[in-house]
Amino acid sequence: MSAPAHPRFEVVIGLEVHTQLRTESKLFSPAPVSYGLPPNHSVHPICLALPGVLPTLNARAVELAIRAALATHCKVHPRSIFARKNYFYPDLPKGYQISQYEDPIATGGWIEVALEEGGEARTKRVGLTRIHMEEDAGKSIHDAAATGDSSQIDLNRAGVPLLEIVSEPDLRSPAEAAAYLRTLRQILRYIEVSDADLEKGHFRCDANVSLRRPGQSALGTRTELKNLNSFRFVEMALEAEIERQAGVLERGGRVQQATMAFDPNTRRTRVLRLKENADDYRYFPDPDLIPLMLSEQQIDRVRASLPELAEQKCARFVREFGLSEYDARQLTASRAFADFFEQAAAAHGTPKTVANWMLRDLREALSARECEIDATPVSAASFAALLGLVDSGRLTAKSARELVGVLVADGGSPEELMRARGLEAVADTGVLEAAVAAVISENAENAERYRSGDEKILNFLMGQVMRRTGGKASPAAVRELLSRKLAGKPS
Amino acid sequence: MGAVFDSLSELSQKLASREVSSLELVGAALARADATQSTLHAFVGLRPANARAEAEQSDARRRRGEPRSPLDGIPIAIKDNMVQTGEPTTCASRILEGFVSPYTATAVARLEHAGAVVIGRTNMDEFAMGSSTEHSSSGPTRNPWRLASTPGGSSGGSAAAVAAGIVPAALGSDTGGSIRQPASFCGVVGIKPTYGRVSRWGLVAFASSLDQIGVFTRSARDAASLLERISGHDPSDSTSIPEPAPELASALDGDVSGLVVGLPRECFVAEGVDPGVLAAVEGAVAELERAGAKVREVSLPHTRHAIATYYLIATAEASSNLARYDGVRYGRRASGARNLTEMYERTRSEGFGEEVKRRILLGTYVLSAGYYDAYYRKAQQVRTLLRGDFERAFGACDVIVTPTCPEVAFDLGAKTSDPLAMYLSDIYTVSANLAGIPGLSIPCGLVRGLPVGLQLLGPALGEAVLLRMADAFERRTPHQARRPEGFP
Amino acid sequence: MARITRDEVEKVAALARLSLGDEAAERMASELDQILEYAWSLSQVDTSDVEPTAHAIPLPTPLREDRAAPPLDPELAVANAPEREGSAFVVPKVIEGDEEG
Repeated sequence: MSAPAHPRFEVVIGLEVHTQLRTESKLFSPAPVSYGLPPNHSVHPICLALPGVLPTLNARAVELAIRAALATHCKVHPRSIFARKNYFYPDLPKGYQISQYEDPIATGGWIEVALEEGGEARTKRVGLTRIHMEEDAGKSIHDAAATGDSSQIDLNRAGVPLLEIVSEPDLRSPAEAAAYLRTLRQILRYIEVSDADLEKGHFRCDANVSLRRPGQSALGTRTELKNLNSFRFVEMALEAEIERQAGVLERGGRVQQATMAFDPNTRRTRVLRLKENADDYRYFPDPDLIPLMLSEQQIDRVRASLPELAEQKCARFVREFGLSEYDARQLTASRAFADFFEQAAAAHGTPKTVANWMLRDLREALSARECEIDATPVSAASFAALLGLVDSGRLTAKSARELVGVLVADGGSPEELMRARGLEAVADTGVLEAAVAAVISENAENAERYRSGDEKILNFLMGQVMRRTGGKASPAAVRELLSRKLAGKPS
Repeated sequence: MGAVFDSLSELSQKLASREVSSLELVGAALARADATQSTLHAFVGLRPANARAEAEQSDARRRRGEPRSPLDGIPIAIKDNMVQTGEPTTCASRILEGFVSPYTATAVARLEHAGAVVIGRTNMDEFAMGSSTEHSSSGPTRNPWRLASTPGGSSGGSAAAVAAGIVPAALGSDTGGSIRQPASFCGVVGIKPTYGRVSRWGLVAFASSLDQIGVFTRSARDAASLLERISGHDPSDSTSIPEPAPELASALDGDVSGLVVGLPRECFVAEGVDPGVLAAVEGAVAELERAGAKVREVSLPHTRHAIATYYLIATAEASSNLARYDGVRYGRRASGARNLTEMYERTRSEGFGEEVKRRILLGTYVLSAGYYDAYYRKAQQVRTLLRGDFERAFGACDVIVTPTCPEVAFDLGAKTSDPLAMYLSDIYTVSANLAGIPGLSIPCGLVRGLPVGLQLLGPALGEAVLLRMADAFERRTPHQARRPEGFP
Repeated sequence: MARITRDEVEKVAALARLSLGDEAAERMASELDQILEYAWSLSQVDTSDVEPTAHAIPLPTPLREDRAAPPLDPELAVANAPEREGSAFVVPKVIEGDEEG
C-alpha cells in the first residue's frame, strides 16, 4: 500500500476521459475534422441538424474504438447500440447527443500504471469499466468582445468523434490519477487512436472523487470535477477537492452530490450545480442508426493490426538489446522515441551505445527545445551516422555532442556539418606525432613516471595532447600513439 | 393538350410524341393549383418560375431526343416535409418559417434526375402529425369530393392535388397511415413502401423508425413507375435497404390467379367500422376471388394493441426529433427573450401548434425516468409481437386485405377536439409502419358519395405483388376511374 | 386515478422546453391522461422474454468510409440563422453551469 493521500480518509477516485479519435471526418457526418478554423467553416448539414438529415457511422472511428478496447484488455461486444441523450443546449444542434449508453462497444478492461514513490517503483493495475463512442458538442463562445448579453455558437467541433474511457474507482491519490492519465494517453498515442493533444482539447478528463474512513467498505458521496484539461490541473483540482470534502466531513457535515469546477487561480473547487434534481436525459436507442454488429473476424483483423504496446516493447528491448529495464522504459516512453531508437540501433550496430547517446545527449537537446523527437528534423539514420563518426575516431565525443544539438535544431548530414564547422578530428599522423613528441619532451618527469608504472599519468598527458590539437584529435588515436612513443617503440 | 385527369403514363406518351410540351403541362398544373387554392388549399407554396424554367429545359431535352426518363417533363408535387435546394420547407409549421434548404432530399433528387418538374409543396398536418390536414399553420386542405370534408392526413395536400387533377402524381410520407388514409379519403392510389425502400435523407423526421416516403397517383401502374424511380439504396440513410430499386411496372400483368388473399378476422369484426365501408371491402374481396385469387382467413391478434403501441413509439421518437427546432440555427425565433431558457420556451411554444405540443409532451413523458419501461420499452416489445403476427400470416397468404380506414372522409372540425378519436381512425394503417411492411390503398367504391379505400398489405419488399393485385383490381372495376364531381 | 397529473405535465413541459399557460396545462393533463389510460392496455400483454424492436427490418450495420467531404459554404451554413455575427450563430448568453453533466 502506498502512502495515503489523506491522513484520516481513504480517497477514492474514478476518471472519465474523453479522447478525440484520429479520423478525417466526423463520427456521423462527412464534414472534415479541423482545428482553428473560423466559426462554422467545417460543418455539413448534418452538423447543423438541418431538417431531414441523417447520421452515418464512420468506419474508421469504429476501428479505432476497437483498437483502444483491445489495447486496454477490454471485451469488445459483438453488438452495441447508439442511443440518444436528450438535453437542450445551444452547442448541441440536434437537442440530443448520439452516444452509447446501455450497450457500449467495450467493457471490463485494465491498464498497468507505473508509479514511483519515494524513489521506489511499483505498478498498479487500474480497472476500466467501459469504453464507448460518442460525438462531441460544438463550442459556445462567451467572451467575444462584441457580444455583451449573448454568446456565439460555433459548430466546427460538433460531431467530432470521441472515445469515452471510464475507469473503475481504483485510484487512491491525485498522483495515481495523474499517472493513470499519463499512461492512458501514452497507450492511445502508441496505437494511433488519438493524438491526445491536451492543448487542442483532444484529451479531457472528468474526475469523480469521494472519501471514506479507513476500513469502511461503502463508498462516500462523490462529487464530479469537470473538464480538467491538463495533468497538473487534475492533481491540483483533486487535492483541493479532497481537502474540501475532508473539511466538510470533519466538521460533521455531509458531502453533497454535485458537479464542481476547479479555479486554478484560487486553487479551490466550487459547486457548479447540485445533482439533486438530476437531469432526465431520456436515453433511447437512436432509430436513425441500427445496432453496430461486429464479427469475430472484424475484431481479429483489428487485433492483428494492433502495434506493439509500450509494455511489450520495453520487455523486448531488455531481451533483444540487453538494455536495463530502466533504460528500456525511458526509450519506450513514446512510440516515436522507441521507433527512432530501433532504427538508429539497426543502422549503427551497437544498441547500447545508441541508447546511451539518446538518453543523455539527444534527450537533453530535445528538452532544451521542448519538443518531441518526431517534431524535429533529425533522422535515425543521421543520428547513427553521427555516432559512427565518433566510433571511427573522426569526431570527438565533445564535438558530437555539439552536433546533436544542431541536428535536433536544423537536421542535416553529420559528415557535412562536421566539415563545415571544422570539427573533424586531427587524423594527420604528422601533426599528431609532432604534438605527442612535444608533450613528451615538455613533460619529461611525467613521462618517466609513466614508464616506471604509473599508468594513470597517461590521462594527464593525453589531455595535454588534446589541448595542443584544439580537442580535434581522436582520443583513441592519441592514446595509441602516446603509449607507443612512451614505450619508446618506433612509429 | 393533356387532359386534366390524364394518367402519368398517358402524359408521358403525349410528351414523347410531342403532342404536348412540358411547359404546357406545367403551366396547366400551376394554373389549376392557383384556381383551386381558395377552395381546396392543397398547396403551401408553388414555384412557378423555377418549374417553368425546368419545363423548358425538359422540352429542350425532348427536342434533342435526350429525355432523361419517361417522367421527363411531368409536373409533380411534393409534401412540404421534403427539402429541395434553394426552396423553403416548413412542414406546415410556424417554427420553420423562412427556412430555405441548402440540400435536396434523395427522393426529390431522384425525381429531378428523371426530369420530373416539382411545381410546389403540398399542405399537411404540422410535422405530419395528424389525420386530417387541419393541423397546418396555413389552414386546412379540403376534400375535392366534398369541400366540407377533410382530405385525410397528414399528406392531405398531396392526395387532394392528385384527386383534383392538379398533378398526375405527388410524393407523400406515411408514418402511421399518412399516405394510405388520405388516398382512401380522396379516392386515389397511395402506396407506402417497405421501411427502408425509399431513402429518408431529406425527409423531415416525425418518427424515424416508422417514416417512409411513398407516392400518390391515379392508377396502380403510375404508382409502380414512380416508385421505381425513387426507390433503391442510399448510403446517406443508415436504415436504407441495400437493394437496388425493384422492377415494378413490368410485374403488372393483370393476373392474380393463385395468389392467396388473407383476411384478418380481427379487422372485420372491429367496432366502429362504417358498414358501407365493410360492404365495399367485402365486394372488392369477392371481385379478387372472381379474378382467381384464393381467400383465406388469417389472424393478427396483436393488432388490437397497434394504436397504443404506435402512439407511444411515434411520440417518443418525435419528442427527440423535434428538439432541434430551438430558434438557434434556422427557422423562427421568438423575440424579446431575456435569457436562453426563455428563448427556447417562447420559440417552441409559439412555433409549434397544439397537436405537435401534445405529442412532444406525450413522447417526453414516455421516455422519462420511471416511465420508460412501462411505456416505451413495453411498446417496443409489443411491436416485436406484432411483427411476429405478420410473419406468421404471410406464411399463409401473399397479400392481406383490410379496409384502409374504418370510415369515409369525415367533416372538418369533427375530431379536432378529441385527439384520441383522431388517433383511433388510424386503426388499420399503423400496423404496417410498426411491422415495416408495404401497404397500399386503392379506391374500391363510394359510400354516401365519398370514396372508400381498400388496403393491401404485403410482406417486406413485397411492393410488386401489391401493385400487381391493385392493377388487376383496377382493370376489373370502375372505381379508379371515378372523379370528384364539381371539379371540371 | 389519474395517470398523469398537472404537475407532471409541467415537469415534462420544462424538459421539452415548452411553456404552457394554466389553461393549456390543465387541458393537456386531461387529454394526455386519456391517451395514457388507453395506452395502459399494453400492460395486459405478456411480454416476458420478448426482445424490443427498434427497427422493423433487420439490416447489416452500414459503415461510412472515413473520407472528409468539402464542408458547407460558411455563408450557407448560417444563412438561415435568426441572429448571427460573422459566421457564428448568436444566442442569449450561455451561463456556465447550465451545461449538461
